[in-house]
Amino acid sequence: MNADPRANAPTPAPTLYACHGLVLGYGGLPVLRVDGFALREGERLAIVGPNGSGKTTFLKSLNGLVSPLSGELLFRGEGVGSSRALRLGSAYLHQSPYLFAGTVSYNASFALLARGVPRAERDEAAERALARLGLSGFGRRPSRRLSGGEAQRVALARVIASGARVLLLDEPTASADAPSAEIIARVLIEEAESGITIVFSTHDRKLERSIATRTLSLADGIACPGPLEEHP
Amino acid sequence: MREAFGLLLSGDRETWHIVWLSVRFSLFSTLFSAAPGIALGAALASRPFRGRRFLAAALNALTALPTVVVGLFAYSLVTRSGPLGFTGFLFAPGGVILGQSLLALPVVAALTYTGLARLDPRFRETLVTLGAGRGRRFLATLREARPVLIAAIVAAFGRVTGEVGVSMMLGGNIRWSTRTMTTAIALDAAKGDFERALSLGLVLLVLALGVNVALHAIAPDER
Repeated sequence: MNADPRANAPTPAPTLYACHGLVLGYGGLPVLRVDGFALREGERLAIVGPNGSGKTTFLKSLNGLVSPLSGELLFRGEGVGSSRALRLGSAYLHQSPYLFAGTVSYNASFALLARGVPRAERDEAAERALARLGLSGFGRRPSRRLSGGEAQRVALARVIASGARVLLLDEPTASADAPSAEIIARVLIEEAESGITIVFSTHDRKLERSIATRTLSLADGIACPGPLEEHP
Repeated sequence: MREAFGLLLSGDRETWHIVWLSVRFSLFSTLFSAAPGIALGAALASRPFRGRRFLAAALNALTALPTVVVGLFAYSLVTRSGPLGFTGFLFAPGGVILGQSLLALPVVAALTYTGLARLDPRFRETLVTLGAGRGRRFLATLREARPVLIAAIVAAFGRVTGEVGVSMMLGGNIRWSTRTMTTAIALDAAKGDFERALSLGLVLLVLALGVNVALHAIAPDER
């Protein structure tokens, strides 16, 4: 008897995002059309395109921060706007991140505070994330007195400490100096290797090559349809 | 001026009683207006809706309303035939505090609204993306806007401490009961008793300065 060859085939990772006829925009004006896009758990997708092509809009929509003008965007089969799994399982990082007034530690532990995690536990998680980003001992510093690169790393530490399994990062190294950018890239590679799903926009081809498994190109308000560019 | 200082330093009982009453009335009215004022300002700033700009403009207009008009309105409430006539607040400390609270409320609400509306849009997005629920977002917003809220409360305190109209109309400037620094100054100046009027004016000046310095020290600029 011949065994079914499909029995040994690896099970594909579950689909995280899927969209159909998605149109995104502001005030009723369309900015970006995306069709036939899907993303599986554990994938690392780079979004590339010129300034104003809709990268930020698309990333925000994946986090439910921008609602579709029309069409459908699903996260684990649920509309992104109403998905609690999305809210607790994903985190978005602004290109120029906003740090709350207060200490670095307050910022880094905020997501866990929002989830009601006990103080000792969230402090520990925050310190661990800060240490990974080369910010050990920064916990008590006022967030508003950090350099641009430090602030970017604190914001990434905050996202990582949240425990989100889906990271949506808008040009994560854009406002960081070279050493900070290097640290951020290293941490993102570590995250990627641990199975975290990462969607990020970038103009940095090196970062794209070192993290992404696929690339989605945006141009003229349209996300490149058909098969995405796959990286080896 | 020397006599005015002398009166204060001698510990004149009536002068200091007037000071104490004024501060007490102002503190209570600021306290009573702070919570509803912040809630109103926060509700207005929380999301856009039809008529929001009109409401914000109306609130701003109310902050500049002459105190005698607010006093008149409050008077119509607490007068014997008014809806709050049963409280016996007219010409009593309760009436002054009620009137001053009405005076302070739009100040707190308008400044809270302005401050919260000016928060960086990324702030709210960051709260949402980090999974903060409605309650946590509200607390975090209060925390983020702390300097704004403190400024609103200080401004309200300043407004009620320096007003005459409400205290005069609702308190009646009754000695040992509702006489505040401003109504006493008006009365003493009219009588030609400049010594006490000046001494109370000095206290008002020091109070305004002291409260502002103290509150700025409590909430240093974190930016």
